[in-house]
Amino acid sequence: MRLLPGSLDHVRERNESAWLMPPHPGTNHQLRHDMRRFEDDDEVDLVIVGCGAGGSTLMQRLARLGWRIVALDAGPFWEPERDWVSDEAGSHHLYWNDPRVIAGSDPVPLGSNNSGRGVGGSMVHYAGYTPRFHPSDFRTYSQDGVGADWPFAYEDLRPYYQDIEEELPVAGEDWPWGDPHSYPHSPHPVGGNGEIFLEGARKVGITAKVGPVAISNGRFGNRPHCIYRGFCLQGCKVDAKASPLITHIPDALAHGAEVRADSMVTRVGVDDRTGRATGVHYVRRGRERFQRARMVAVAGYSIETPRLLLNSATERWPNGLCNDHDLVGRYVMVQGAPQTAGRFDREIRMYKAPPPEVSSEQFYETDPKAPYQRGFSIQTVSPLPITWSEHVIAQGHWGASLREYMSDYVHWACFGALCEFLPRPENRVTLDEEKDRHGMPIAHFSYSQGENDQQLLQAAQQKMEEILHAAGADETMTIQRFAHLVGGARMAATEDKGVVSGDCQSFAIPNLYLTDGSVLPTQGSANPALTIMAIAARAASRLARGARGGPPR
Amino acid sequence: MNQKLPLQDPNARGRFPGFDTASQAEYWDMATKAVVAERLGMPPNIRFFTREEEATANALCDQLLDQQEDPRVPVVHLIDARLAEKQYDGWHYEDMPEDAEAWKQSLAALDQDSREAWSRPFHECDLGEQRGVIQAIVDRGSGEWHGMIAKRVWSLWTRYACSAFYSHPWAWDEIGFPGPAFPRGYKNIGVDKLEPFEVRDAKPVDPTRIGDADRGKS
Repeated sequence: MRLLPGSLDHVRERNESAWLMPPHPGTNHQLRHDMRRFEDDDEVDLVIVGCGAGGSTLMQRLARLGWRIVALDAGPFWEPERDWVSDEAGSHHLYWNDPRVIAGSDPVPLGSNNSGRGVGGSMVHYAGYTPRFHPSDFRTYSQDGVGADWPFAYEDLRPYYQDIEEELPVAGEDWPWGDPHSYPHSPHPVGGNGEIFLEGARKVGITAKVGPVAISNGRFGNRPHCIYRGFCLQGCKVDAKASPLITHIPDALAHGAEVRADSMVTRVGVDDRTGRATGVHYVRRGRERFQRARMVAVAGYSIETPRLLLNSATERWPNGLCNDHDLVGRYVMVQGAPQTAGRFDREIRMYKAPPPEVSSEQFYETDPKAPYQRGFSIQTVSPLPITWSEHVIAQGHWGASLREYMSDYVHWACFGALCEFLPRPENRVTLDEEKDRHGMPIAHFSYSQGENDQQLLQAAQQKMEEILHAAGADETMTIQRFAHLVGGARMAATEDKGVVSGDCQSFAIPNLYLTDGSVLPTQGSANPALTIMAIAARAASRLARGARGGPPR
Repeated sequence: MNQKLPLQDPNARGRFPGFDTASQAEYWDMATKAVVAERLGMPPNIRFFTREEEATANALCDQLLDQQEDPRVPVVHLIDARLAEKQYDGWHYEDMPEDAEAWKQSLAALDQDSREAWSRPFHECDLGEQRGVIQAIVDRGSGEWHGMIAKRVWSLWTRYACSAFYSHPWAWDEIGFPGPAFPRGYKNIGVDKLEPFEVRDAKPVDPTRIGDADRGKS
């Protein structure tokens, strides 16, 4: 069913966030001023570590049911009008910039590429693509003999996808791939980069669609329309692009939850005698503190969640919490994300309009004729000048030729692929010898590609080149990169295969949950934000139902 | 604010005649205006690099960005400020120290290469000699260079240098990019569509299709 823009008023009954925003770009200061504040000694129903996609969704859902919740985040409680800028270099503070070590045969740069910090998490600086996973993603092992099967099926997640798509809301054309579906907001108009994608794809017979992007197309609650300024990756000052900061946190605050920002959690407290979590140790304003809680949910994403579990070792769990089976920190995944650009005499000016415009999932599934398993998606990207300079440098240009190529910026269109790299146990987060300023060992992330991964990269680059040439590009250039992080504490049907159950409950400690991207067993070729939110919403629903409205005792 | 960068290549110079990003500052929000104004103002003092490192870094960055005459974007001041404030990118390779130390080591190594090849510090070599020393490092690719992997040093240098340079309105003027866009946004999106304040490229032909063969790469 296609709902017309403006017909999303029913969302207000289950999530009022968009109506709690001011009727202009900005922050509801009164709501934050009036926020409930708990004491460290209050044994709250739930303490959440991390206010990103997973943590914020869980908080909003359970706060609505009357749970007393404190959500801690290591970074700030953003005030976009003051803290964010319409500028590339000036947005460096949006990322997790604390030290981390990267290793392996294909080390993955972190920070700006994939790691958020502050309330809203990485969704503050994600592009805004919110595709669903395909039904096949939940059974890659039984279907294709690679990856892993999830402990639940796509159909179990579908209602949560639908709910979150309305709450963000997502704009896009009717979606023909995976489980075909529609989006609550109609597709956005496209800029030069999107036009080139549509034109080239049509000429080579590849299906391409506008969307799906979590950018309101038309007013949603009090949130304004997108202004097509192109700085989605620098934090949306307009409040058009969805992040939990505006889609779930306001409603959570209105229902009595507390967001405690600038609070770095260093250990989960566990009582070895009872085998239960007791709260979290954290540092705020230089002071070490402990928040008591009847239940703990860790949502620090694929690097920080394993790091926190490993650093919370006790006598009972000497190798880190929930790590009796040596699974914590393993099977971390990134997508291969080559970006291929094409040069046109026409002016593309890809910096205008949001970078996420058009995508194709035609090559998402395993192609029986191809030598590799699983597939890739293709999307518009649209790097701003600093990022674009990396593309030019990667071709070997420097000095005069770098400046000259850069002066050609307005003539280039740029696409990115997301290749489904397969999960491997040796791709893992461990604790490094180096310590951060809190004295906590920093994360060491080792990553290496497999042969299937490399074949996907080549196939994806070839398709992007085909589309660009068909649209009239006379020259292309490609840069090899990675995108997104998931896995590191994956869910499974049994404790010897995963750290948590399909409900995000850890097998080892019944009142410890993990509700973030680290629980994903596979990653598909989809951007993960929507799926992380849907999984957290599902976990919340199961928790509430199973406990008859309260946390388990 | 009307200064222009003296781009060396005659074909690229003046592609966007009259385009002046900073003249649009009245349309930017306050927070953004403040961060951009800082780049146009007096550069921060050098705090991190020693005098010798500063000289090497200036010669290196002048080469990387082809800034051989004034006015220059004060790239080394901006890099120095980031390193002094430990404003790194949130990761470093296992086989490399963190960025500040990696800069120090790599600048010393660059100087050492110049002394071995030309018996002079890097910044005293002529431009052609400097280019040779740099290109030799680029050519090592994944190979080792003074105990580090060459391409990772290259990535460190170019990442910091380009972040500083292409954050500057003068560089935006040169490439036709209007910079900040809030709260105004864009009204005319699509191929070949311009806002009233954008300037069409006066030399739209692909630089690779023009002229001499040695212009593809430095």
